[in-house]
Amino acid sequence: MAVAQPANKFVGSQVCKTCHPDIWLNFYKNPHFKSVASGKEPEDKTGCEGCHGAGGNHVAASGGKTTIPRAFSLMTSTQALNTCLGCHSKDLSRANVRRSTHTEADVVCSNCHSIHKPAGPKFLLAKRQTELCYTCHAAIRAQFEMPVKHRVNEGVIQCTDCHNPHGAFSSATPAGSSAALVTTAFDNEEPCLKCHVDKRGPFVFEHASVRVEGCEGCHVPHGSTNAKLLRRPVVFTLCLECHNGAGTFGRENNGVFAQSASHNMLDPKYQKCTLCHVRIHGSNSDATFLR
Amino acid sequence: MRTLFCIIVIASAAVAQDTVAPATGEQVGTVRGQNTGDYNLVQSWELGYRFASVGGNQDQYRSDVNFHDGVRLLGSSFTINSKDGKGHWFDEIALTTQGLGNDPYESATLRVQKNQWYRYDLLWRQNDYFNPGLTVANGAHLENTTYSWQDHDLTLLPQNWYRIRAGYSRTTQNGPALTTEQEFNTQGTVYPIFRDIRQQFNELRLGGDILLKGLRLTLQRRWEYFKEDTTDNQAVAEAGAAPQILTSFYRAQPYRGTTPGWMGNLFFERKWLAVNGRLTYASTKGNFVQNETAMGVDRFGNSQNQQYIILGDGDRPVLTADLNETLFPENKFSIVNNSSVSNTRMDGNNTFEQFSNATFLVSTINFQLLNIRLVTNATDLRYRFSKQLNVFAGFRFAERRIQSIEDASVPGSPYSGITAQQANHTEAGVAGINWLPLKALRVHLEGEVGRNDNPFTPVSLRNYNVIRSKLQYRTKTVTLGGGYRENYNNNSIQITAYSSHARTYSANASWAANSWVSLDASYTKLHLDTIGGIDFFAGSPIAQQITGMTSIYISNIHAANLGLRFALTKRADLYLGYNITKDTGDGRASLATQPTAIGQAFYNVQTFPLTYQSPLFRLSIRINEKLRYNLGYQYYGYNEQFGLFSTYENFHANTGYTSLLWTF
Repeated sequence: MAVAQPANKFVGSQVCKTCHPDIWLNFYKNPHFKSVASGKEPEDKTGCEGCHGAGGNHVAASGGKTTIPRAFSLMTSTQALNTCLGCHSKDLSRANVRRSTHTEADVVCSNCHSIHKPAGPKFLLAKRQTELCYTCHAAIRAQFEMPVKHRVNEGVIQCTDCHNPHGAFSSATPAGSSAALVTTAFDNEEPCLKCHVDKRGPFVFEHASVRVEGCEGCHVPHGSTNAKLLRRPVVFTLCLECHNGAGTFGRENNGVFAQSASHNMLDPKYQKCTLCHVRIHGSNSDATFLR
Repeated sequence: MRTLFCIIVIASAAVAQDTVAPATGEQVGTVRGQNTGDYNLVQSWELGYRFASVGGNQDQYRSDVNFHDGVRLLGSSFTINSKDGKGHWFDEIALTTQGLGNDPYESATLRVQKNQWYRYDLLWRQNDYFNPGLTVANGAHLENTTYSWQDHDLTLLPQNWYRIRAGYSRTTQNGPALTTEQEFNTQGTVYPIFRDIRQQFNELRLGGDILLKGLRLTLQRRWEYFKEDTTDNQAVAEAGAAPQILTSFYRAQPYRGTTPGWMGNLFFERKWLAVNGRLTYASTKGNFVQNETAMGVDRFGNSQNQQYIILGDGDRPVLTADLNETLFPENKFSIVNNSSVSNTRMDGNNTFEQFSNATFLVSTINFQLLNIRLVTNATDLRYRFSKQLNVFAGFRFAERRIQSIEDASVPGSPYSGITAQQANHTEAGVAGINWLPLKALRVHLEGEVGRNDNPFTPVSLRNYNVIRSKLQYRTKTVTLGGGYRENYNNNSIQITAYSSHARTYSANASWAANSWVSLDASYTKLHLDTIGGIDFFAGSPIAQQITGMTSIYISNIHAANLGLRFALTKRADLYLGYNITKDTGDGRASLATQPTAIGQAFYNVQTFPLTYQSPLFRLSIRINEKLRYNLGYQYYGYNEQFGLFSTYENFHANTGYTSLLWTF
């Protein structure tokens, strides 16, 4: 017959402070200190025990990780996620965390956030944001070191301007391959439009592929050798790869119309398509985006 | 102090031209800053001078780097925290700035909050954006605009069962940029010109959350306003090939767009179930007028006075709905399903009227509609065998329906436009594994296979597959990582073929050898080769249709970073870094002569080898407890192997800064 264990009791953060003064000294600067300051939260949502669970057994055993009900270093990633979501699941920005590619890859809260050793005052990130993301995404770092890039390394733009690391709602634009945590602008549009508002339209003459395939149809958002972050070093090959009249592609389902016979590609000016088709994202005046 | 500096240099290691202001995060241990009453205050200010010396193509330097001489507040941070969380007016103020004083990349963040009562966040950013004017005019660099963003968010009663949120955002772009206006020179060549553009976007947000019995309802109302007021008024004569001359040109094309929108979200979670539902609706309306008058002499010597007036409007209602359900039948197993529907309907009409020499010439009415309806469903299963091993698998389905109407007529005539409808379906399966064979070793493998039955463009995903893998070994002092990713897409049909094959290899290592030396290094290889069928007209003297050619693009990018940190003495710390990005293209050393002129044009742009490298160092010397002297230097070298359109834009730059950092 098993001997009944005494119930684990809550002891309060002041008791934790006795042995962990190094953590407690700065804890008033931690967002989680709100639960202590409020004085109204239940014991299981207050201070140290709010995250780590009741400390009675831990105190009785004079320490030890195994006596902590929720010692994060001993928990599975799912347990760590569930513990944090106990309070943080209801915010809109984390609505998709259960199905995010980070969660699928076993990357959970404690992989990016450091509750006791944050790098900055906001969001308790373990490192500064770009550095944190580059820890796993070294290839993305390489893209932001291309000559032409969004200014992420320079600090004016952040990864979270376009991505939601907690999982994103489906974009209204692309279908197919799973989006890399790309967030939406204005709730349901591509994030690019948040800054490039002039490309948002609506236009009388839409460049249909922009709306159907999204900006990435022509652009690489992180970095490129082209001045406008195009997928090719020059514009004419990019345009001609779609505008070849073949198949059932395009708006009318009978091929994306090929280039005009009046455009002699030996003439350099016709190799610079956007020299004339300046409103290539969409125009209110001209069906071929000339003005 | 050495520990503190380690924090400083680690925080600044990843950036191209960063300050060495300290990170403001509170570590465990001694409290930093000064205590004043019930508050603790920590601040640091770094004031310095930037310098830059540029050789070669100055415009490309401005496009890629853009740092210039001058005094700057390179960085600052300022935090006040109440020690008991019960401050009178506030419990926290956190301010950070970067690059103030005319750096091309300036930003500031501010948070002010009082526990239980309010939280206010500000994010302000400004980017002096300089960029080549597309690939036009042989790379002429004439775009020089300033982007400015600001976001304000206020939450009232942030810890209450109901919360009220309000926000305001503003985005502006001003400065010379590409217009739609084209002019000509005496050789008859047309080219677009650059004018000061003026664009402004404002957004107001108001909403709140209510939490009742574990169910949270979020509502938000938005009002967005966009306007553009770029005008052009040119009175100076512009001569073309004789006798053509443009004596005056006037264009105004004001645009006003408004988007009221709604968003509602419902969330609840139980022990075995979590559900999140969202509904959004936004309806954009845009109104525009374009009035253009040009006066001059045409190529036959006749005086011309032409006016175009185009006016109309566009509508775009967008409706989206998402539903996520997560089931946890047991601790080890979860099922996640997401269903999403979005409908984007764009329609617009304009009336185009042309007057020639004050005589009405032509009037047309245009109407277009593009309706995109996307329905997606994704189901993912996760099972955890043990703490060391879990697997997942999922299936995604998307159906996209596109309806199109393109119509034009003269007033009084019936429409006789083109209407079309199509649908395409994407089905994809994913599966993967997360494995911890050792406590410090983490392995992730994942694959995705997808099929689309009717892709929208010749370069869209049709038959694609993706492989993703990551390996990470991490101890307290060493991190080793590696990754491989492969994306393959084949969108070939009978007449045209398109395939794209991208492979990414990456490796990274960090080593904190001891308290006075550490190392970071990474290497990435990005390999891409694409081939697409093309069809165009070319030839001399008469252009002929050319079919059967392909457009090939091959890039082979090697990127490497190396960072070494040394604590030289008790007072001096040094960081040495080197970044290089090298595209070796398809390996060709020079551009070979091709049998035909058009073959040469495509051959020349099949690959674009270049080297972009940047060695740097940063030295920081502690003068006393509160003061440090910093010196930074960074070299940028950009070298294209083959110029586009015979234009090389190579540059080299010596940049740096010297500064004093005051922390207390």
